[in-house]
Amino acid sequence: MINAVLVFNNAGQPRLTKFYTQLETSVQQRLISEIFALVSHRPTGSCNFLPLPPLLASSGTSSSSSPHEHNDIPSLVTYRHYATLYFIIISTATESPLALIDLIQVYVEALDRLFENVCELDLIFNFETLHACLAEIIVGGVVVETQLERVVEGVKSQGRVAKRPVNESRGVALGGMGGNFGWAGR
Amino acid sequence: MFEKSLYDLIRGLRNHKGNEKEYIQNSLKECRAEIRGQDMDLKATALLKLVYLEMFGHDMSWASFHVLEVMSSAKYLQKRVGYLGAVQSFRPDTEVLMLATNLLKKDLTSTSVTTMTLPIITLPHVITPSLAMSVLSDLLPRLTHSHPAIRKKTIVTLYRLALVYPETLRPAWPKIKERLMDESEDSSVTAAIVNVVCELGWRRPSDFLPLAPRLFELLVDSGNNWMAIKLIKLFATLTPLEPRLVRKLLPPLTSIIRTTPAMSLLYECINGIIQGGILDSGDDSVGGEEIATLCVTKLRGMIMVEGDANLKYVALLAFNKIVLTHPYLVAQQEDVIMECIDSPDISIRLRALDLVVGMVNSDNLMSIVGRLMRQLKNSRSATAEELNHRPAPIEPSADSDDESPEAAIKNAKGASDAPLLPDDYKVDVITRILEMCSGSNYGNLVDFDWYIDILTQLVRTAPIPDATSSTSNPEPGQNDLKVDVSEKIGDELRNVAVKVKAVRLQAARAAETILVSTYNDSSSNLTSGSGILRPIAWIAGEYASYLASPEGTLTALLQLTKGATPPESLIFYLQALPKIFSMMAGDEQLAWTPERKTMISLLMARVIHALEPLAIHPDLEVQERAVEFSELLKLAAEAATGQEPSQDDAQDAPLLLTQAIPSLFIGLELNSVAVGAQKNVPIPSNLDLNQPINANLSNLLKAVEFSGFDAVDEDEFEIYYHKPEAQSQSVAEPATNRLGAAEEPVHSYQQGGEESYLDPDIVARRRAERLERNKDDPFYIPPSDRSGGSTPLHNILQSNNGTDMDIDAIPIMQLDLGKTAANKAGQPSTKRPSASKARQRIQVAADETLATSGTSTPRNDDSENSLEGHQRPKAKGKHSLLQVDSSHIGAFSLEGDGSSEPIDYERQQREEAEMAKAMKEVERLRLEMQRASERIEAAKGVEGTVVKKKKKKPKVVEHEGEEDGSVAVVKKKKKSKKSVIDDGSLDPEAAADVVKPKKKKKKKAKIDEGIVDPEGVVDS
Repeated sequence: MINAVLVFNNAGQPRLTKFYTQLETSVQQRLISEIFALVSHRPTGSCNFLPLPPLLASSGTSSSSSPHEHNDIPSLVTYRHYATLYFIIISTATESPLALIDLIQVYVEALDRLFENVCELDLIFNFETLHACLAEIIVGGVVVETQLERVVEGVKSQGRVAKRPVNESRGVALGGMGGNFGWAGR
Repeated sequence: MFEKSLYDLIRGLRNHKGNEKEYIQNSLKECRAEIRGQDMDLKATALLKLVYLEMFGHDMSWASFHVLEVMSSAKYLQKRVGYLGAVQSFRPDTEVLMLATNLLKKDLTSTSVTTMTLPIITLPHVITPSLAMSVLSDLLPRLTHSHPAIRKKTIVTLYRLALVYPETLRPAWPKIKERLMDESEDSSVTAAIVNVVCELGWRRPSDFLPLAPRLFELLVDSGNNWMAIKLIKLFATLTPLEPRLVRKLLPPLTSIIRTTPAMSLLYECINGIIQGGILDSGDDSVGGEEIATLCVTKLRGMIMVEGDANLKYVALLAFNKIVLTHPYLVAQQEDVIMECIDSPDISIRLRALDLVVGMVNSDNLMSIVGRLMRQLKNSRSATAEELNHRPAPIEPSADSDDESPEAAIKNAKGASDAPLLPDDYKVDVITRILEMCSGSNYGNLVDFDWYIDILTQLVRTAPIPDATSSTSNPEPGQNDLKVDVSEKIGDELRNVAVKVKAVRLQAARAAETILVSTYNDSSSNLTSGSGILRPIAWIAGEYASYLASPEGTLTALLQLTKGATPPESLIFYLQALPKIFSMMAGDEQLAWTPERKTMISLLMARVIHALEPLAIHPDLEVQERAVEFSELLKLAAEAATGQEPSQDDAQDAPLLLTQAIPSLFIGLELNSVAVGAQKNVPIPSNLDLNQPINANLSNLLKAVEFSGFDAVDEDEFEIYYHKPEAQSQSVAEPATNRLGAAEEPVHSYQQGGEESYLDPDIVARRRAERLERNKDDPFYIPPSDRSGGSTPLHNILQSNNGTDMDIDAIPIMQLDLGKTAANKAGQPSTKRPSASKARQRIQVAADETLATSGTSTPRNDDSENSLEGHQRPKAKGKHSLLQVDSSHIGAFSLEGDGSSEPIDYERQQREEAEMAKAMKEVERLRLEMQRASERIEAAKGVEGTVVKKKKKKPKVVEHEGEEDGSVAVVKKKKKSKKSVIDDGSLDPEAAADVVKPKKKKKKKAKIDEGIVDPEGVVDS
């Protein structure tokens, strides 16, 4: 299952934190900063999987363990980087690594549909929608929907999605999917 | 008051660059006030702001009651904010959760789909067993809701309920199964069920076997890749239980492997085949080998794909699983895997490293270790470069004092493009190298000389924390790890010295070199406190007779005992000192000449001089050893001065020197003992550990306390003897080696070029040894610079010519085909034939166990340690950080509906109705109490602050403190509801009294006081 979904920007500022197990706020923050430290200095062309951050690695798991005994333990940290944002999924071994990469893509595409050319600012000011969208895809750590249309439809049924405030939109040209958001602003 | 929307808050945050902290504190204050107001809009907005700030780490647990208020709002958008607040901030110990039950139940039965969704998606985050029990009856009907979105979410929520409250599955599973079997069911719902079944499946695969036909149908027909991936994962857990499935599964799986365009599905197919144990099923008709080959080729292809690191990574993951059963298949892929070991991506490197440990054998060990060594060495040279750039002589990867750890990592990594490896990784690599070499009691190791050189090199490369930081570092865990690894290297060297007699000499010499260079060589990164020196000192002491220069080693050791050496290390040094001394002084054969007498007296004076200050060392262990040995040596010194020397053999050396002291250390040889063998030693029957050894001990100690030893100051004596010698034997290296040899790129086309990972001095020594060894070999071509006019063959001919023809002297006798052939084939100057080594038949002593040992003795610990040994024990007990504990559900059987005592569903519902009634009553009481406490508060007026609050929430205004109290009462009353209801008491104090006898947790006691206190305040 999926243990946590995190979104933060290039400076490590969280934009969304969703933990599917209850965790102290301070521990959450430590985990975020540890993952940020790992993710922010990946050489170009490296894979989308991170080694376990110390906080997770210390709690008694090792990579070369036998497959069936540790299925409860988060063992996989998958990330994707879009322009200014990192999307992170922490999961156990029951999830497929490659599928998780696609899942992040689904999430981002759904957001793009909802906001029309999504950018970091949209997510900052509408973080409620961010949560709502995620809730259409993942409930309680289990994936419930992977079809883009249905996700978008589900969020829209909850009410109008707010647009970004007009005067904030300067220099916010964050468009285009597939890992090359071109947000040049700020 | 000025009101701020979330938008304003964020704008404000962005406009207050630099003093965000202050701004946030102010905002929090405002939120605090706003959320207490009556205006629901304001409340909801404040909550939204709090949730936003919570994301940045600002605790909002104090607001949980207000979260509840917003949750109960009639407006959907406000309700949604409330539920979001609950998801983000409620923790298992959040007390208002009890009050939320009714609300959740009510919203679950809402007519609006969107409203109904809110509790469904929130429940997984806040669920507790009791909550699960009470909402189950409302959640179950949602499984048949007309809207598929509700159905799929309900299924997942039921799964999370089942994790904390397994009984959920009893009524829920048949319905879920019904959904799964229904072919007309919405595809998303089916997919969600498959996801849930996959999560449940690995815990109790046997319960899901009956579903196999339907699942198989879904796999073949659905065409949904997401679901197929999960199905394959599920089948992988089922096949071990039902071998017949293998035959059924293989055709579709292989056809997917051959046809699918989706890489993720392809990968999961291969993974499923591996995990499902299809590869090693004994069934020949299945063609396990063929499948295995297919998988391995596909995986190899994935690694080879240029530019997709993700495929590399997952392929390595899969190889890691295959290597457990088919190590030879993976070993064939050594070339591509070794490429990954040098990948710039640390994730890939780590996976490859895992893999390498699994596939190592005696043939590839040296090349693999060589590769890793080169990595370590190169990264170190990058470090040296860095050092030149920076003025401060600290290791760049070490924590700098003024920055947070994250920032430090950033600096270290970003500073240069060179592969500057983090210390953690280095430690990991070193551990793996040691693990590979020592695995199965050194079974894979052919060349121990090489191993000793590797260890010596590792000592230099190992990241070693400087001695000062090891005591003052606030993070003990991390530091322990590093100390551990350098000590591990030393332990390895010691193990080799003890277990392998054939190379004991070399091991002792290596230890000597390390010791001497520690004190001689300023470039050495070892200090007297380094963990590695402990086993090293032991080797030098125990095998003192093998030392090249006992004198130099003794000097080094004496030097090490000075300064701020930690006591743990001192103990080892102290023990090694007399051993070396006794070896030097205790020769019986030598005559007691005046020179010998002077020399030994001086030696003793030096040792005593070094030991004396330690006799008042604060550490008892150190003190004891120092006193013992210095007293012994003083006696010996006395004896030596008393014994008149003579030039001839007439006078023997004092017996104390030649007999008594050596006999302390010479005896049975020490052997390595298996871990746990000690346990088998029977306890002597007359041993009483409680009996004091000396009843008067404390008085004795007092009497001796502090007899004015002054610290010995640095005097002439000291400077004369302890000044480092200019050049010590083994560090002497040819000057040519220093000329730019260090940074030379590898020219050799052979991977095994030792120059690339060993330091020049080690290489030089190896070359010298090789020459020595091969000097009688006519076919050995020595390096060009050494070959003069005459070849060895020529020499032999010359030397033999003069004498009579002796058949035995003809050099042909020395021909050894294996050896020479290998020599000619390989580059003689760099590559050493491993074949010649293999013939040496080096004996490795196994660990000793007691003969009487029962079952408890681990037979051979080394071999068991290799792979799983470490992890097994760890897996138990400790829970990982984000882990969802599903162990309860493992014990729950789905199929046992009739057999195991059935919980009566109706009865449960009846109970729930009763509970609901009780809850209503409790709620009424709570309101009464709240009103009462508000009255009290009003009466208290300004001095309200007297009230003691719970420690956990220091800033809570007392209004909340009372709410807490009331909540606790509610909680208690639920347990003792009957009595409370009969009682009908509205007095908080009385209520508390009722509760008190039932108290379970101490924590609650405080809360009860919280209720009583206000009364007290009013009275006063």
